Amino acid sequence: MQEDTSLPLSGCRVIERSRTVAAAYAGRLLATMGATVVMLEPEGGSPLRKAPPLLDGGKGESALFAYLAAGKRSLVCDLASAEGQALLDRELERADILIEDVPLKARAAEGLTQEAIAERFPALVHVSVRPFGASGPKADWAGAEVNLVHASGEGFLLPNGLSYELFPDRAPLKIYGHFASYQGGCMAALSALSAWWAVPDVGGQYVDVSVQDAMLATGAFALQRLGDGSLEHRATRRFRYGGVFEVKDGFIELLTLENRQWDGLVKLLGDPGWAHEEALQDPLERSRRGDEINHHIRAWMIQHEAEEIVSRAQELGVPVGKYRTPEEVLQGSQERARGLFVPLELADGSEAEVLLAPFQFRETPLHLNGGVPALNEMAREAREQEAAA
Amino acid sequence: MSRAPLAGVRIADFTIHAAGPFGTHLLSQLGAECIKIESKTRPDAFRKPHAVYGRMTAATFDQVASNKLSVRLNLKQPEAIELAKRLVSVSDVAAQSFRAGVMDRLGLGFDELRKAKPDIILLSLSSCGQTGPDSHFAGYAPLFGAWGGLGAMSGYGDGPPVEMRHVMDHTAGMHSAMAVVAALHQRRRTGQAQHIDLAAREISSAMIGDALVQASRGETPARTGNGDLAMAPHGVYTTSVPDRWLTIAVRNDQEWQALVGVIGKGGAATDPRFATVEARRRHQPELDALLDQWLADRDADATAERLQQAGVAAHVSWNMQDIADDPHLRARGAVVEVSDPNIPHRPVVGAPARFTKTQDVGIRRLTPALGQDEDYVFGELLGLSSAQRADLEEREVIL
Repeated sequence: MQEDTSLPLSGCRVIERSRTVAAAYAGRLLATMGATVVMLEPEGGSPLRKAPPLLDGGKGESALFAYLAAGKRSLVCDLASAEGQALLDRELERADILIEDVPLKARAAEGLTQEAIAERFPALVHVSVRPFGASGPKADWAGAEVNLVHASGEGFLLPNGLSYELFPDRAPLKIYGHFASYQGGCMAALSALSAWWAVPDVGGQYVDVSVQDAMLATGAFALQRLGDGSLEHRATRRFRYGGVFEVKDGFIELLTLENRQWDGLVKLLGDPGWAHEEALQDPLERSRRGDEINHHIRAWMIQHEAEEIVSRAQELGVPVGKYRTPEEVLQGSQERARGLFVPLELADGSEAEVLLAPFQFRETPLHLNGGVPALNEMAREAREQEAAA
Repeated sequence: MSRAPLAGVRIADFTIHAAGPFGTHLLSQLGAECIKIESKTRPDAFRKPHAVYGRMTAATFDQVASNKLSVRLNLKQPEAIELAKRLVSVSDVAAQSFRAGVMDRLGLGFDELRKAKPDIILLSLSSCGQTGPDSHFAGYAPLFGAWGGLGAMSGYGDGPPVEMRHVMDHTAGMHSAMAVVAALHQRRRTGQAQHIDLAAREISSAMIGDALVQASRGETPARTGNGDLAMAPHGVYTTSVPDRWLTIAVRNDQEWQALVGVIGKGGAATDPRFATVEARRRHQPELDALLDQWLADRDADATAERLQQAGVAAHVSWNMQDIADDPHLRARGAVVEVSDPNIPHRPVVGAPARFTKTQDVGIRRLTPALGQDEDYVFGELLGLSSAQRADLEEREVIL
């Protein structure tokens, strides 16, 4: 495969040993930006190859793996064997970054301890990303997504607003999919690139990333509120007015933070008399009477359709958006104009579309360097090249 | 000697609100020198009351402003624009989070900044991106979640979508920081200037990347709530104390047997309804009833410890007081205590990761007062004399 040298991380070689979404997402981000990312998979393949959701009504390829592995390479490596260890050494010898999520107890057996790697590969950036990190009293705790989104405080605070109002007695709710794991993965990628930046000065090093820490970092404002004297709860963490509103054909989000946006909202609602009450011209008073304001807004919203509301609101400078389904996102005119999705060949040869990257490098546009790799495709290619020679 | 990995990198930071500032805050935690540009007439959000959010006064501490230096520039004045360009000319990165087109109108668009610094990296973080029919849309975190699909995919199966909050802003910021460091590597290798265009709504879409693959094949992705398509039991369970929830995720049959061992219900271990994950998922109500009954008089924290000892993924649904008090997060430096003469001791989010060599990562200074670093920035970096600065203040260029 011809390597593109124009991309931000062209020339960067990453070895990924992943069984969790966090490590795989870190590798995916680096691959998207041009790094060559080699998944060292166990015999039989990464467990992520069978992780739900599965396509074809639950019988086909993993949609999650397709998303996470797009643009990577695959090489089987049995780290329990001497051959596997030799292969690991060969791969790490020419790598810049190692990203792995091996549980602490299994590290020695897989030859992936911090000390062993540092001794043999002094210029390598070694990043581990684990549920609770590699140090600290809970470093060996197990953590799936639902545990981690709650261990970092955000789970306790969800849902809020309308969903909480409707179901106050229900259990708090996780965010869809693997949100906390994606934070861990992005933090692992950021840390890897930062440590790589410092290699000319300090050489390689080990970086310990925790999904819990990363998710907590994104929820930092709730800890900030605690420092201000307020312990947040999903019952009370809500915008005083605005939020989720049911409309004729779905749901919309409305949020007005600035006075001019409030003025636009009043126009959107048809200049109702209640909104012109003198006291409501004060934003603090509006906050105090948020429930009353939302009652009025809800009554108006349910009589209108999302598209009509959104287009008029945007004309008036009122931040409003429709809660869109994945199908709507996929077909969205904005997303299509920006080339957010690209064709993807899956490991079984079938076709899909995949989100390329949630950012653009406008001077050197990104592209995927291949589809979803078949298991051990690098070894097969090597054999074919040998045979041809 | 310890140092930070990004020591020596300088950022001219025009970002406001939460998403952009969090990205540059992360870079500052990693060692970049971050110069925050504001003005008295257009201060950042934390310097004002945030009534819709329930904060009726300015914040005394702002996580995403901490570590940063502060200078004032009134960007309505042409001379301030020239000073901003001079600041960019001595920076590696410029970051902004205005609506698309604002920087161009100010005369600080990518082409102008590249004239000031030929290899500049410009980060533009916005709600919808710099291009496309929606690029002029204003938005905040809940709207990013709505537009990008994450909001609709989150929620109870029979309920409305879930409103995403600051975590949505901050994941956009974290992705932006990562992209900036990638661009630094590109510049180191090629000398290439770069314009990173990050749309927060696209970050929301990235959080449902699997569901979008499904949608591309004509399939309708499922909203799973607290459930999981491959794990059972899996969810958030009540315990002996109201609102003290326990999360449990059993990832395979071995962990199921471990859980049954802790529960002490011998019959469940051999019950065919629970023998495989498929069977357990089919009998979810009976499974959850078994757990609810067992947990009804149990302490959430002690049970989480016990399940973890048995190898079962479990954790209490923590509030922020739990987080602040946690010895594990404290030991890692993920939560640290800060204070200064104006700010009593308080817990804040500390180092984002632990580096073995470049260890000087984390919070170094707290929220800057508006313009507190102008001696260094305007005096030392830009070489302005005291008289020049006084004149610029007099004419409200520095305001």
